[in-house]
Amino acid sequence: MQTLSTDVLVIGGGATGTGCALDLAMRGIRCILVEKGDVTHGTTGRYHGLLHSGGRYVTKDPQSATECARENAILRRIMPHCIEQTSGFFVITPWDDESYGDVFVANCHRTGVPVQEITVAEMLRREPALNPRISRVFEVPDASADSFLATHSVALAAREYGAEIRTYHNVVDLIRVGNRVMGAIVEDLRSGERIRIDCAYVLNAAGAWAGKIAALAGVTVTVVPGKGTMVAMNHRMVNTVVNRCKLPSDGDIIVPIHTVAVIGTTDVHVPDPDVFGIEPEEIQFMLDEGEKLIPGFRQYRALRAWAGVRPLYKDKDVASDRDIPRTFKLLDHEERDGVSGIFSIVGGKWTTYRLMAEQTVNELARRLGNTQPCRTASEVLPVPRFEHRAHAMVTVSPDPAAQTPHYWLGKPLALVESEHAAADLICECELVTRDRIVAAIDAGAHNLDDIRRDVRMGMGPCQGGWCIYRTANLLYERRCADGLSHTHANEAILHFLQERWKGLTPVLWGDQLRQARLDELIYAGVLGIHRLRALAEPGGGLVTQHPAIATEYVQA
Amino acid sequence: MYDTIVIGAGLSGMLAAIGRAERGEKVLVLAKGHGATHWSTGCIDLLADVDDPFAGIAQLASQRPNHPYALAGPAMIEQGIARLRAIGEAAGYPLAGSLNRNLLLPTALGALRPTAFAPATMIAGDARQLRDGRPTLIAGFAELRDFFPPLIAANLRAQGIAAEAAQLTLPPTGRQRDFSPMTLARLCEQPAFRAKLGEQLAAHVRKGGYARIGMPAILGLKHATEVARDLQNQAGALIFEIPTLPVSVAGMRLYQILEDELLRLGGHIQLGGFVQRAEGIGDTLVAVFSEAAAREQRHTARRWVLATGGILGGGVRATPEGHLRETALDLPLQAPDGRAGWFAPRFLNEQGHPVFQSGVRVDQRLRPLDAAGRLVYENVQVVGGALAGYDPIREGCLEGAAIATGWAVGQH
Repeated sequence: MQTLSTDVLVIGGGATGTGCALDLAMRGIRCILVEKGDVTHGTTGRYHGLLHSGGRYVTKDPQSATECARENAILRRIMPHCIEQTSGFFVITPWDDESYGDVFVANCHRTGVPVQEITVAEMLRREPALNPRISRVFEVPDASADSFLATHSVALAAREYGAEIRTYHNVVDLIRVGNRVMGAIVEDLRSGERIRIDCAYVLNAAGAWAGKIAALAGVTVTVVPGKGTMVAMNHRMVNTVVNRCKLPSDGDIIVPIHTVAVIGTTDVHVPDPDVFGIEPEEIQFMLDEGEKLIPGFRQYRALRAWAGVRPLYKDKDVASDRDIPRTFKLLDHEERDGVSGIFSIVGGKWTTYRLMAEQTVNELARRLGNTQPCRTASEVLPVPRFEHRAHAMVTVSPDPAAQTPHYWLGKPLALVESEHAAADLICECELVTRDRIVAAIDAGAHNLDDIRRDVRMGMGPCQGGWCIYRTANLLYERRCADGLSHTHANEAILHFLQERWKGLTPVLWGDQLRQARLDELIYAGVLGIHRLRALAEPGGGLVTQHPAIATEYVQA
Repeated sequence: MYDTIVIGAGLSGMLAAIGRAERGEKVLVLAKGHGATHWSTGCIDLLADVDDPFAGIAQLASQRPNHPYALAGPAMIEQGIARLRAIGEAAGYPLAGSLNRNLLLPTALGALRPTAFAPATMIAGDARQLRDGRPTLIAGFAELRDFFPPLIAANLRAQGIAAEAAQLTLPPTGRQRDFSPMTLARLCEQPAFRAKLGEQLAAHVRKGGYARIGMPAILGLKHATEVARDLQNQAGALIFEIPTLPVSVAGMRLYQILEDELLRLGGHIQLGGFVQRAEGIGDTLVAVFSEAAAREQRHTARRWVLATGGILGGGVRATPEGHLRETALDLPLQAPDGRAGWFAPRFLNEQGHPVFQSGVRVDQRLRPLDAAGRLVYENVQVVGGALAGYDPIREGCLEGAAIATGWAVGQH
């Protein structure tokens, strides 16, 4: 067995784990990060994309609110290419308690969340689709963030600083000698090879899966997998994040992100982060709630539903999962359980990933005798190469002193049109060009799902009807010299179609049902992919079929 | 007032309209847009996964008496196809094949799909010929995002066909980029463009000794047979087209010959008219109302054909709450009870998804019935994808069932 050695082994390639890897590497601490899927494979890649102002937590979880407010300002600085400056409204609808408005404002002031009340007329001027019966509106600095891109940027920076990031590496065991964790045995899911990694510290940043990792070291960490279901709608009916001004509950937020608007979320305790379903009632409930914010919401086309699993850390008995604090906690298992050499970073949220990493690495650095300060709040992150959306960056402020380039949705289309490059659009819904797909493949994407996370291919209205075929062929053409055969290309298509189907069935009616039928005509009728099933097999570095990364979808 | 108004401009509706127009009726095809013909392969699928589709249909009809094939009857299948082939022949776009033996034609992935009849431009791709051991070239254009020769060739090789792949250099066109199957099809109708292609193909044939060349189905829109023949002569090898992703050039050609024929027979076509409601007296449909440009138009006829398709065509639509509705006349539908029974867990499930068998239940004369089996309208007949109880895509009878039922209602 190959043996590697490092200072810190980070487990988990979500926002937190990659953030820790970057912080460690910046301070000159050697680290290896292992992730059983792709970077952002877990919860990071399955949330609505809100950069919290903190407004949602001002009342129930003031510490989280303050953390969000601070980190919000930092992330805008260090990853402008990932953030669209949408701003955010908290609105009081006829279904909400009118008196909460003043409480909300007072709590915003108390927690440091910038807030300003605007008139309903001003709100309607900026967002004409919102319910005119809304009585009060508070503006906060919410924004939408591309969590895929952000985490890829962090991973890229971490690599540049010398961190080693190994995706599709599953931890099969932790090596414990007496009361000390000395390392881990990981399996490379592409080759099936096992590797031993010796380290001074294991950092468990596995999010909703942290309990499973901790169990390998013989310690108990109770993470309540809180399933949050979201629905992507075909239109950006608003360009501002819209929250109901009330205590957080189901279906109370709409986030415009890229070409869609996402309504979320539910919060349902599930026993296992790998096994859950999406109930039709959840979807209908959210559409009804959406109707309260935007009359006619139900008439828009729902594109896809998905669920992410919140990594809620349960410290003590709390009544409901929504009452578990959204703040984070660093667990020193030596102090807590008498097992040294392992820490767990649990709880938290995407917006505070950097702060979580900072505090975690402060502790690890202290233990390792490293005195370098944290610099992640000041260094601007690099842009991955497949993200030619530097071409999507525009300067939004007329004030030259405040000129920060930011993502603007219309820019890619303007560029494609100016270059007459429509035929280079492999994914027409999300405006993904051939160049960007090829760059994602060359940057190491293993399968179509990786490419989807990198460039958003297949995430628009047609849900891959055209672009799955095109992208699979590009993958085959770029990789066939490296051993990706036609059988793997066939498997890539079959696998991705099935993955999309899981998220589609809960929202199939109207035009989207018709679209699914057209996709069936294309793949079963025109292309006859099902006739190639005997010529399809996992392998070729695709990692499409492995129990470690299979999310079992329960048919609701 | 028309004698017959056909609602829907797909294959079934167009054949029904042609049948009635031939009998001297005043006919209107009223449709929201083009039908599924534009999305499909341009071939005539009768029944997949059998060697002899006509025998397979006879067996299927005996087992499923409410299947559109059983309702139309074997004579209508034969006659409908014969008429369609005659139309193609007269238009210089012959369809070749047999009722009794499926062809196996390569797809744009290199799968071999069974179909009964294909345009002459595709026929040389039959796998039985490709397996003669002589080399086949799959040739495309790097600029075309809907056709990728390497994977097609690799999958064909895995199925015993000596196939190789090549990308052709696009002759200069004055266009910089943006080559869709449609633009390429138009370019192929220009002799100069074609000559440049022919030179390249001939060079490949000289070098590789190819007996056949598979190309994306972009060889012309109006004169495809001549375009293919011309290229074939220049290349010195047989050429066959492979259908591409929608919009399908071959599908458009099929629609075009039907439209030309209907107009020749004096029929009328009105596209852009979305039929949204009906006016009936008792069991007689008197009028329909279409919406176009935000204004409603009333249409009257003595007899009606509903050819709006199923969920794919837009004739059947589902609500979020799990109800299905027939969009034009609000006819009762036969459908699974509630969303729970709509889908199979696997997208490419062999049996397909139950929701896609939703449609209008009809009597022996294809007239609509309600849930209790009572006639809804005595002067309406339902054809093609709007019919209940079959899955045209998964059974591989999309065109066959449309032709059989469309032709049947055109005759009586």
